[in-house]
Amino acid sequence: MKGLAVANEVQQFDVVVIGGGPGGYAAALYGAAAGMTVALVERDKVGGTCLHRGCVPAKEFLETAHVRRTIEHAGAFGINTKGVSVDFAVSQARKGEIVDRLYKGLSGLLKGRNVTVFEGTARLDVGLIVRVVDGADAGVVAHGKNVVLAAGSVPRTLPGFDVDGKFVVTSDEFLDLSALPARAAVIGGGAIGCEFASMLSDMGTQVTILEFLPTILTGCDSEVVNVVQRSFKKRGIDVRVGAKVSGHSPKKGATTIAVEGGDEVTVDMVVMSVGRRPRTEDLLGEGTGVVIDERGFVVADGYQRTANPNVFAVGDVVADSPQLAHVGFAEAIVAIKTMLGEVVVPVDYDRVPWAIYSNPEVAFCGLTEAAAKEKGYEVVVKKDPFGGNSRAQIIGDTEGVVKVIAERRPDGTAGQILGVHMAGPWVTEQLGAGYFAVNWEATAEEAAALIQPHPSLSETFGETLLALAGRGLHVG
Amino acid sequence: MVDVTLPSLGESVTEGIITRWFKRVGEAVMRDEPLFEVSTDKVDSEMPSPAAGVLVQILAEEGDTVQTGARVAVIDEHAEAGVVAAAIVAPSRETAEVPDGPVPAPAGAVTGVVVSPVVRRILADGGVDPSIIRGSGPGGAITRRDAERAVTNGPTDEVVMKLSNAQRRMGQHMSLSSQSTPHGFTAVEVDGSTFSRLDELGRTTRDGIAITDEAVVALAAVRALGEFEYLNATFAGDELVVHRTVNLGFMRVVAEDGMLVPVVHAAAGLTLRALARRVSEVDERLASRQLTTDDLMGGTFTITGAPSIHSLWTVPIIIQPEVAVLSMGAVRTVPVAVERSGATIVEVGRRVVLGLSFDHRVCEAVAATHYLERVAELLAGLDLESEH
Repeated sequence: MKGLAVANEVQQFDVVVIGGGPGGYAAALYGAAAGMTVALVERDKVGGTCLHRGCVPAKEFLETAHVRRTIEHAGAFGINTKGVSVDFAVSQARKGEIVDRLYKGLSGLLKGRNVTVFEGTARLDVGLIVRVVDGADAGVVAHGKNVVLAAGSVPRTLPGFDVDGKFVVTSDEFLDLSALPARAAVIGGGAIGCEFASMLSDMGTQVTILEFLPTILTGCDSEVVNVVQRSFKKRGIDVRVGAKVSGHSPKKGATTIAVEGGDEVTVDMVVMSVGRRPRTEDLLGEGTGVVIDERGFVVADGYQRTANPNVFAVGDVVADSPQLAHVGFAEAIVAIKTMLGEVVVPVDYDRVPWAIYSNPEVAFCGLTEAAAKEKGYEVVVKKDPFGGNSRAQIIGDTEGVVKVIAERRPDGTAGQILGVHMAGPWVTEQLGAGYFAVNWEATAEEAAALIQPHPSLSETFGETLLALAGRGLHVG
Repeated sequence: MVDVTLPSLGESVTEGIITRWFKRVGEAVMRDEPLFEVSTDKVDSEMPSPAAGVLVQILAEEGDTVQTGARVAVIDEHAEAGVVAAAIVAPSRETAEVPDGPVPAPAGAVTGVVVSPVVRRILADGGVDPSIIRGSGPGGAITRRDAERAVTNGPTDEVVMKLSNAQRRMGQHMSLSSQSTPHGFTAVEVDGSTFSRLDELGRTTRDGIAITDEAVVALAAVRALGEFEYLNATFAGDELVVHRTVNLGFMRVVAEDGMLVPVVHAAAGLTLRALARRVSEVDERLASRQLTTDDLMGGTFTITGAPSIHSLWTVPIIIQPEVAVLSMGAVRTVPVAVERSGATIVEVGRRVVLGLSFDHRVCEAVAATHYLERVAELLAGLDLESEH
């Protein structure tokens, strides 16, 4: 116990970070790289939700589903296999190994940069004092010239759906399952819900998505949503939108969900994916000056400063910040650079990259067509389906589309690119070029002048740009 | 250990704002080397280090207001540079010190404006310097739209430049004066043959001090004030306070940083030689940023020299609480009409325009012109040989 020998002594640091998820460990690593002395307090394991109960394990399972799909379609390549069977315990173990390797790597990195990691739950008190209130390092008191709040978030559930780990699970429990249910309902058709639904379906589960809003993947461009919806339908996923649920009734090994104004759904498991709430309860003592909004999020400015100028907030706890690990990384860099007095540009939340790893994948950046029109832009839109892409045909995955939205100039031609939206094979890896185009505020012809390799999936983006610039090779 | 205190900044000044530290904690400093800059409502001054050694502690951060006599730093005369623990630096976000760690701080941290390649190209093509555009993006980032607008309309409508303390002080004083005082102005063109005589005698005094056109006119102006006392005065409602001494202010432009008016006190009765020396002493303190508040206080009359060799005259604003300011144009070599043996012919001669901005509550154009003509007479009659 690092704190015991020096009980009550206040340990001094340049930065004390509360929370060891992506936002927190990025702040610690980036601060340490700048020569700052850094302490990081983590109640569980460094890596946070993303590494242990979120992005990383979820994507590992999605990749497992991808491997299964590949084998199922292997016959088309002339490669014959004798049936496919799934040993999910092995999949689970492989996921565990990957997470463990990444966890060890991160721990080593923190150690290598001399970041002091305290184990336990931290509370910020007045005077930039951080107390470890439980865990192995309970009693440790650390003072930071600056403090970073990166306490993260936890899954929400709905009234009537108490998480019991058996019938009702959230992502936390789902990712530790050793066997998959035969029938599952996914409540909430956002990014996380669609990833779970897609993965379960590809692994052989009968899936129903119950979404309260009029569409799944709210916030995505409608064209992209259509691609996913068509694919889901084709694979037998029952997508019900406008579905209001108020509870479930377990009976023997199954449970039945009543859907207002619709047929009830009987499943073996309910996966709740209705969003995440910030973990800010008991995070702050009296008089810290930090402001928490009515939903529990920490209020911070573009430089991640809270109402207390020496307390910063990054990651999922930040009000109005998209709950994305890579946004947490970016916010952490902004916070540290601000502390150092360096020139820094705040994160532009309207232009961060989004990636959804469902089958088909979705990736986008910038305004949707609807959002652009809502903001008063006149737009020019071009889209190119992956169907004609040679690489897509080679890999046997031609479902999808690339859509680019540009500002319409007075002469009717396409000007600055406002949004890039993709659905289809490996689009999460292809978004980079679109991300640069949007954030560097390129016009259609500026971006179209750059070459995409052939044959590659990224040619579809290039084709769309050419068409947008006025004259396409293949696309009109 | 040697305490660095904020020295007296002038009689009526009790505090100053530390605007800049030239040394960081851990850096070596020589005795009398500029250590920090302090700003008062009159002037920004560089403060020399009282001792040689290593700056081990800064007790007043940039932006702090400090009483004169207060400790602002500590210098260790026996320490070695660079071995001082950074921990004793007072914590400050703006000046957060990065102590040496196992991982060196990234060399050449980003400074200046961050722009996207597209914006950079648009601005480069348009010949616009990004540093003068106020961006509308997050954190003031320059967006494509900002760049295109700057290239089309010119960046001027978007430029925001922060005024220095000195510029703000100048602006405050000038607007106060022009609003509170009804200004009148008159100018006369006078003979400048005195300057030709001075050129022949040499432009330095016997002490080796340069004699400027301004100093020569200043001498005549001070002497003429003896007969025009009400111009060396302060307006006070129903009364006029006439000063018995002449404290002569000289308008000085500080490179891109506004204007200062250092004062040569008790200038009445000075010879040209003495006046030239006193002016040069004040100018030296101005150049080395060692002017004290006292140097800037107590003026009773001001003179402003020619801004350029092409200047005809300037119309200055009165320095408060004075009632007049004399301006001069360049001493020009021009064709002049002269009477020779009953005929008017044209010769090459010297001419200079003298102007006077005056407080119209105290003086009017006729009296002001009489004063300038008296200055001209005294200028023409200067005994340069003995005053040189």
